[in-house]
Amino acid sequence: MGYANHLNSTFAALADPTRRAILSRLASGEASVNELAEPFAMSQPAISKHLRVLERAGLISRGRDAQRRPRQLQAAPLKEVADWVEHYRQFWTESFDRLDHYLRQLQAKDKAKDKDKAKDKDKAKEKKHAGKRPAK
Amino acid sequence: MPASVLQSDIFTKPTEREIVITRVFDAPRALVFKMWTDPKHLREWFGPGVFTNPVCEVDARVGGKWHIVMRDPQGNDYPCGGVYREVVEPERLVFTNIATDKDGNPIIDGLTTVIFEDEAGKTKLTLQTRGTAVVDYAAEYLKGMDAGWSQSLESLAGKLAKA
Repeated sequence: MGYANHLNSTFAALADPTRRAILSRLASGEASVNELAEPFAMSQPAISKHLRVLERAGLISRGRDAQRRPRQLQAAPLKEVADWVEHYRQFWTESFDRLDHYLRQLQAKDKAKDKDKAKDKDKAKEKKHAGKRPAK
Repeated sequence: MPASVLQSDIFTKPTEREIVITRVFDAPRALVFKMWTDPKHLREWFGPGVFTNPVCEVDARVGGKWHIVMRDPQGNDYPCGGVYREVVEPERLVFTNIATDKDGNPIIDGLTTVIFEDEAGKTKLTLQTRGTAVVDYAAEYLKGMDAGWSQSLESLAGKLAKA
Protein backbone atom coordinates (compact mmCIF):
# COMPACT_ATOMS: atom_id res chain seq x y z
CA MET A 1 0.00 0.00 0.00
CA GLY A 2 1.33 3.46 -0.87
CA TYR A 3 2.26 5.88 1.85
CA ALA A 4 -0.59 8.30 1.10
CA ASN A 5 -3.27 5.62 0.89
CA HIS A 6 -1.87 4.16 4.01
CA LEU A 7 -2.09 7.50 5.81
CA ASN A 8 -5.57 8.11 4.50
CA SER A 9 -6.84 4.76 5.76
CA THR A 10 -5.25 5.49 9.14
CA PHE A 11 -6.93 8.89 9.27
CA ALA A 12 -10.26 7.36 8.23
CA ALA A 13 -9.96 4.69 10.90
CA LEU A 14 -9.19 7.30 13.55
CA ALA A 15 -12.06 9.55 12.52
CA ASP A 16 -14.56 7.48 14.51
CA PRO A 17 -14.85 7.97 18.30
CA THR A 18 -15.71 4.32 18.99
CA ARG A 19 -12.63 3.17 17.12
CA ARG A 20 -10.46 5.63 19.01
CA ALA A 21 -11.93 4.32 22.26
CA ILE A 22 -11.14 0.75 21.17
CA LEU A 23 -7.54 1.73 20.46
CA SER A 24 -7.37 3.50 23.76
CA ARG A 25 -8.52 0.31 25.49
CA LEU A 26 -5.98 -1.79 23.56
CA ALA A 27 -3.22 0.61 24.54
CA SER A 28 -3.45 -0.88 28.03
CA GLY A 29 -3.20 -4.46 26.76
CA GLU A 30 -4.70 -7.00 24.34
CA ALA A 31 -8.40 -7.87 24.57
CA SER A 32 -10.89 -10.27 22.99
CA VAL A 33 -13.84 -9.08 20.90
CA ASN A 34 -16.18 -9.77 23.82
CA GLU A 35 -14.03 -7.79 26.20
CA LEU A 36 -13.90 -4.94 23.74
CA ALA A 37 -17.68 -4.97 23.18
CA GLU A 38 -18.42 -4.85 26.91
CA PRO A 39 -17.99 -1.12 27.66
CA PHE A 40 -19.92 -0.09 24.54
CA ALA A 41 -23.65 -0.30 24.09
CA MET A 42 -23.07 -2.16 20.86
CA SER A 43 -23.68 -5.57 19.42
CA GLN A 44 -20.74 -7.82 18.77
CA PRO A 45 -21.19 -7.62 14.97
CA ALA A 46 -21.07 -3.81 15.20
CA ILE A 47 -17.84 -3.99 17.17
CA SER A 48 -16.44 -6.55 14.75
CA LYS A 49 -17.10 -4.13 11.92
CA HIS A 50 -15.04 -1.43 13.66
CA LEU A 51 -12.31 -3.97 14.34
CA ARG A 52 -12.16 -4.86 10.65
CA VAL A 53 -11.62 -1.17 9.75
CA LEU A 54 -8.86 -0.92 12.34
CA GLU A 55 -7.30 -4.12 11.09
CA ARG A 56 -7.32 -2.97 7.48
CA ALA A 57 -5.61 0.26 8.55
CA GLY A 58 -2.93 -1.85 10.23
CA LEU A 59 -3.77 -0.37 13.60
CA ILE A 60 -4.53 -3.69 15.27
CA SER A 61 -3.56 -7.32 14.80
CA ARG A 62 -4.79 -10.65 16.14
CA GLY A 63 -2.95 -12.46 18.88
CA ARG A 64 -1.91 -16.12 18.79
CA ASP A 65 -4.56 -17.52 21.15
CA ALA A 66 -6.84 -19.30 18.63
CA GLN A 67 -9.87 -19.31 20.94
CA ARG A 68 -9.89 -15.79 22.30
CA ARG A 69 -8.34 -14.23 19.22
CA PRO A 70 -7.27 -11.21 21.23
CA ARG A 71 -6.71 -7.96 19.37
CA GLN A 72 -3.48 -6.03 19.84
CA LEU A 73 -2.56 -2.46 19.12
CA GLN A 74 -0.02 -1.80 16.35
CA ALA A 75 1.96 1.37 16.88
CA ALA A 76 3.63 1.95 13.50
CA PRO A 77 0.72 3.62 11.63
CA LEU A 78 0.02 5.86 14.61
CA LYS A 79 3.60 6.94 14.63
CA GLU A 80 3.41 7.74 10.93
CA VAL A 81 0.44 10.01 11.54
CA ALA A 82 2.17 11.69 14.46
CA ASP A 83 5.36 12.17 12.39
CA TRP A 84 3.47 13.63 9.50
CA VAL A 85 1.62 16.14 11.68
CA GLU A 86 4.96 16.95 13.32
CA HIS A 87 6.52 17.72 9.92
CA TYR A 88 3.86 20.34 9.25
CA ARG A 89 4.24 21.85 12.68
CA GLN A 90 7.99 22.02 12.29
CA PHE A 91 7.69 23.62 8.88
CA TRP A 92 5.60 26.51 10.19
CA THR A 93 7.51 26.88 13.42
CA GLU A 94 10.77 27.28 11.51
CA SER A 95 9.16 29.62 9.02
CA PHE A 96 7.86 31.78 11.87
CA ASP A 97 11.30 31.92 13.45
CA ARG A 98 12.55 33.33 10.16
CA LEU A 99 9.62 35.72 9.88
CA ASP A 100 10.27 37.01 13.38
CA HIS A 101 13.92 37.64 12.55
CA TYR A 102 13.06 39.23 9.20
CA LEU A 103 10.50 41.57 10.76
CA ARG A 104 13.08 42.74 13.29
CA GLN A 105 15.60 43.47 10.53
CA LEU A 106 13.01 45.23 8.44
CA GLN A 107 11.84 47.46 11.27
CA ALA A 108 15.39 48.27 12.35
CA LYS A 109 16.12 49.37 8.78
CA ASP A 110 13.00 51.55 8.67
CA LYS A 111 14.00 53.20 11.92
CA ALA A 112 17.48 53.91 10.55
CA LYS A 113 15.91 55.41 7.43
CA ASP A 114 13.66 57.66 9.50
CA LYS A 115 16.69 58.85 11.43
CA ASP A 116 18.53 59.62 8.19
CA LYS A 117 15.53 61.55 6.93
CA ALA A 118 15.44 63.56 10.15
CA LYS A 119 19.15 64.27 9.79
CA ASP A 120 18.69 65.38 6.20
CA LYS A 121 15.96 67.75 7.30
CA ASP A 122 18.22 69.19 9.97
CA LYS A 123 20.96 69.64 7.42
CA ALA A 124 18.57 71.37 5.03
CA LYS A 125 17.52 73.72 7.81
CA GLU A 126 21.14 74.45 8.64
CA LYS A 127 21.83 75.22 5.00
CA LYS A 128 18.88 77.57 4.89
CA HIS A 129 20.15 79.37 7.95
CA ALA A 130 23.68 79.34 6.62
CA GLY A 131 22.45 80.86 3.39
CA LYS A 132 20.62 83.59 5.28
CA ARG A 133 23.47 84.46 7.56
CA PRO A 134 25.71 86.36 5.11
CA ALA A 135 22.79 88.59 4.24
CA LYS A 136 22.65 89.75 7.85
CA MET B 1 5.16 1.04 22.00
CA PRO B 2 6.83 4.36 22.84
CA ALA B 3 4.96 6.36 25.45
CA SER B 4 4.97 9.45 23.22
CA VAL B 5 2.69 7.71 20.73
CA LEU B 6 0.25 6.66 23.42
CA GLN B 7 0.20 10.09 24.93
CA SER B 8 -0.38 11.85 21.64
CA ASP B 9 -3.76 13.39 21.00
CA ILE B 10 -4.59 10.86 18.35
CA PHE B 11 -6.93 8.85 20.56
CA THR B 12 -8.92 11.78 21.79
CA LYS B 13 -8.94 14.41 19.06
CA PRO B 14 -10.98 13.83 15.94
CA THR B 15 -9.04 16.55 14.11
CA GLU B 16 -5.58 15.05 14.18
CA ARG B 17 -4.87 16.28 10.68
CA GLU B 18 -5.16 19.81 11.94
CA ILE B 19 -2.35 21.90 13.31
CA VAL B 20 -2.86 25.16 15.14
CA ILE B 21 0.13 27.38 15.84
CA THR B 22 0.00 30.75 17.55
CA ARG B 23 2.80 33.30 17.59
CA VAL B 24 3.07 36.96 18.60
CA PHE B 25 5.21 39.17 16.37
CA ASP B 26 6.55 42.50 17.55
CA ALA B 27 5.28 44.41 14.52
CA PRO B 28 2.08 46.16 13.48
CA ARG B 29 -0.65 44.03 11.98
CA ALA B 30 -0.58 45.70 8.56
CA LEU B 31 3.13 44.94 8.22
CA VAL B 32 2.76 41.30 9.31
CA PHE B 33 -0.09 40.85 6.84
CA LYS B 34 2.10 42.28 4.09
CA MET B 35 4.76 39.65 4.85
CA TRP B 36 2.29 37.08 3.50
CA THR B 37 0.93 38.89 0.49
CA ASP B 38 4.03 40.60 -0.94
CA PRO B 39 6.31 38.06 -2.65
CA LYS B 40 9.34 40.29 -2.02
CA HIS B 41 8.81 39.68 1.69
CA LEU B 42 7.32 36.18 1.63
CA ARG B 43 10.36 34.70 -0.11
CA GLU B 44 12.59 35.90 2.74
CA TRP B 45 11.01 33.73 5.40
CA PHE B 46 8.86 30.95 3.94
CA GLY B 47 10.19 27.46 4.69
CA PRO B 48 12.82 25.90 6.95
CA GLY B 49 15.93 27.95 7.72
CA VAL B 50 18.34 26.40 5.24
CA PHE B 51 15.94 26.63 2.30
CA THR B 52 15.88 29.45 -0.23
CA ASN B 53 12.92 30.37 -2.45
CA PRO B 54 14.17 30.98 -6.00
CA VAL B 55 10.56 31.24 -7.20
CA CYS B 56 7.94 33.16 -5.26
CA GLU B 57 4.81 34.37 -7.05
CA VAL B 58 1.80 35.70 -5.20
CA ASP B 59 -1.53 37.01 -6.42
CA ALA B 60 -3.30 37.64 -3.12
CA ARG B 61 -6.86 38.02 -4.35
CA VAL B 62 -9.75 35.61 -3.93
CA GLY B 63 -9.17 33.04 -6.66
CA GLY B 64 -5.59 34.26 -7.17
CA LYS B 65 -2.69 31.81 -7.06
CA TRP B 66 0.53 31.53 -5.13
CA HIS B 67 3.51 29.50 -6.26
CA ILE B 68 6.77 28.98 -4.41
CA VAL B 69 9.73 26.77 -5.24
CA MET B 70 11.82 25.99 -2.16
CA ARG B 71 15.41 24.86 -2.69
CA ASP B 72 17.47 22.88 -0.19
CA PRO B 73 21.26 23.30 0.15
CA GLN B 74 21.84 20.35 -2.22
CA GLY B 75 19.83 22.10 -4.93
CA ASN B 76 16.74 19.89 -4.68
CA ASP B 77 13.57 21.83 -5.46
CA TYR B 78 10.30 21.51 -3.55
CA PRO B 79 7.52 23.33 -5.38
CA CYS B 80 4.30 24.25 -3.62
CA GLY B 81 1.40 26.56 -4.21
CA GLY B 82 -2.32 27.02 -4.04
CA VAL B 83 -5.26 29.34 -4.45
CA TYR B 84 -6.52 32.11 -2.16
CA ARG B 85 -10.02 31.47 -0.85
CA GLU B 86 -10.34 34.50 1.44
CA VAL B 87 -8.29 37.70 1.59
CA VAL B 88 -9.41 40.18 4.24
CA GLU B 89 -6.68 42.75 4.77
CA PRO B 90 -5.22 42.90 7.40
CA GLU B 91 -7.21 40.27 9.32
CA ARG B 92 -7.50 36.99 7.58
CA LEU B 93 -6.09 34.81 4.84
CA VAL B 94 -7.39 31.45 3.71
CA PHE B 95 -5.56 29.53 1.01
CA THR B 96 -5.08 26.03 -0.26
CA ASN B 97 -1.57 24.68 -0.02
CA ILE B 98 -0.65 21.99 -2.45
CA ALA B 99 2.87 20.65 -2.57
CA THR B 100 3.66 19.40 -6.06
CA ASP B 101 6.46 17.42 -7.65
CA LYS B 102 8.63 18.85 -10.45
CA ASP B 103 5.95 18.04 -13.02
CA GLY B 104 3.24 19.80 -11.07
CA ASN B 105 1.52 16.67 -9.76
CA PRO B 106 0.07 17.16 -6.27
CA ILE B 107 1.75 15.38 -3.36
CA ILE B 108 0.19 17.00 -0.33
CA ASP B 109 -3.13 18.77 -0.25
CA GLY B 110 -4.13 21.17 2.49
CA LEU B 111 -6.08 24.21 3.57
CA THR B 112 -4.52 26.94 5.69
CA THR B 113 -6.22 29.75 7.59
CA VAL B 114 -4.17 32.60 9.01
CA ILE B 115 -5.72 35.05 11.46
CA PHE B 116 -4.00 38.35 12.33
CA GLU B 117 -5.03 40.08 15.56
CA ASP B 118 -3.80 43.38 16.91
CA GLU B 119 -2.46 43.16 20.45
CA ALA B 120 -1.34 46.58 21.67
CA GLY B 121 0.74 47.29 18.58
CA LYS B 122 1.99 43.72 18.29
CA THR B 123 0.40 41.08 16.13
CA LYS B 124 -0.94 37.77 17.28
CA LEU B 125 -0.92 35.32 14.43
CA THR B 126 -2.89 32.09 14.49
CA LEU B 127 -2.22 29.54 11.80
CA GLN B 128 -4.48 26.59 11.31
CA THR B 129 -3.56 24.11 8.65
CA ARG B 130 -4.92 20.74 7.70
CA GLY B 131 -3.73 18.40 5.08
CA THR B 132 -3.85 15.05 3.38
CA ALA B 133 -1.02 13.26 1.72
CA VAL B 134 -2.19 12.34 -1.76
CA VAL B 135 0.50 10.31 -3.44
CA ASP B 136 3.16 7.79 -2.57
CA TYR B 137 6.22 10.00 -2.82
CA ALA B 138 4.91 12.40 -0.21
CA ALA B 139 7.07 10.29 2.06
CA GLU B 140 10.12 11.09 -0.05
CA TYR B 141 9.21 14.75 -0.11
CA LEU B 142 8.88 14.92 3.64
CA LYS B 143 12.08 12.97 4.09
CA GLY B 144 13.89 15.61 2.03
CA MET B 145 12.56 18.34 4.25
CA ASP B 146 13.65 16.39 7.27
CA ALA B 147 17.19 16.32 5.90
CA GLY B 148 17.03 20.09 5.54
CA TRP B 149 16.06 20.51 9.12
CA SER B 150 18.66 18.24 10.57
CA GLN B 151 21.22 20.09 8.48
CA SER B 152 20.20 23.41 9.88
CA LEU B 153 20.53 21.95 13.35
CA GLU B 154 23.96 20.61 12.48
CA SER B 155 25.14 23.94 11.18
CA LEU B 156 23.80 25.63 14.27
CA ALA B 157 25.57 23.10 16.46
CA GLY B 158 28.74 23.75 14.46
CA LYS B 159 28.46 27.48 14.98
CA LEU B 160 27.85 27.03 18.67
CA ALA B 161 30.85 24.74 18.96
CA LYS B 162 33.05 27.42 17.36
CA ALA B 163 31.69 30.22 19.50
